[in-house]
Amino acid sequence: MQVRVRAFARLREAIGGDLTLEVPEGATMSRLLAAVGETSDQAGEALFEESGELRGYVILMHNGRRVRRAATGTLALADGDEVALFPPVAGG
Amino acid sequence: MLTDREPGRYLRQVALFGEEAQERLASARVVIVGAGGLGCPVALYLAAAGIGEVRLVDGDVVDKTNLNRQVLHGDRDIGRPKVESAAEKLRAQNPEITVIATYAAVDDGNAATLVGGADLIVDATDNYRVRYTLNRVALDAHVPLIHGAVRGFDGQATTIIPGRTACLECIIPIAPPEEGATPVVGTTPGIIGLIQANEAIKYITGTGDLLTNRLLIWDGRAATMTTLPVERQEECSACGSGRCSRR
Repeated sequence: MQVRVRAFARLREAIGGDLTLEVPEGATMSRLLAAVGETSDQAGEALFEESGELRGYVILMHNGRRVRRAATGTLALADGDEVALFPPVAGG
Repeated sequence: MLTDREPGRYLRQVALFGEEAQERLASARVVIVGAGGLGCPVALYLAAAGIGEVRLVDGDVVDKTNLNRQVLHGDRDIGRPKVESAAEKLRAQNPEITVIATYAAVDDGNAATLVGGADLIVDATDNYRVRYTLNRVALDAHVPLIHGAVRGFDGQATTIIPGRTACLECIIPIAPPEEGATPVVGTTPGIIGLIQANEAIKYITGTGDLLTNRLLIWDGRAATMTTLPVERQEECSACGSGRCSRR
């Protein structure tokens, strides 16, 4: 199935724009995030800590609704879903 | 009040939202925390709009590397406190308003005093330590907080109405890491700062729809703006039922 990924800020720079990723039927948000991270070293670094844990500050949205970090392992995606990923910026 | 002022200064915006709204701007007190990339455009446009009292708080002095984006400061201001440099330009732009310059770095201990009495707080800071402090002070005092942040060509903004909308910690519960010298082009804080100033004018005059429960994201490379819906988090340690555990 296909899931559309909208990326913002540094993550967008890292993956070069929006993506449509092919993931297995019933894949979870975690599985999708891993797939996004695998698109390039920069994307992996933008999403994950060195330990492999998802960077805690990245805002995750699924079909326009906020997804809590704790739910990423169980949230099952469906064909045509849209996921948005935003690492907030900090400067002023 | 309006009769005391030089005629015409606000003519074009009074035509837009009326004299009563202009009076509200004239009696409003806005605190802008940070007189840098965001603070400069926020302060300039709020002063021009006739906000009665613009209070600037910042503990830094002007450095040459600030000048690509901190547009109220010029070459001759290098070494001066940013609030003094900015206040001078604001007073020249609009002598009819009161500009207060407070040369101080905001921290947990002084934040409530520094923003006390304000109708609105603008977050024009460059770090989440101070942002979270302002968020808590705004929640405690029930004063709206207009958040903005930038990096590179990217920016974000949201408007927080304590008790009614998602607060900063609901939206960004974990701060992104600080960078030494954040790369940024001056137009990014220009755009985000003007969105913040626009929110302030809308809030004070009661015009339009605020950026509440929405996080605006500006992508300057693509020249696109998006808003992501955000909501209050029941377990938020700043405004939710979880706040007791941290206080």
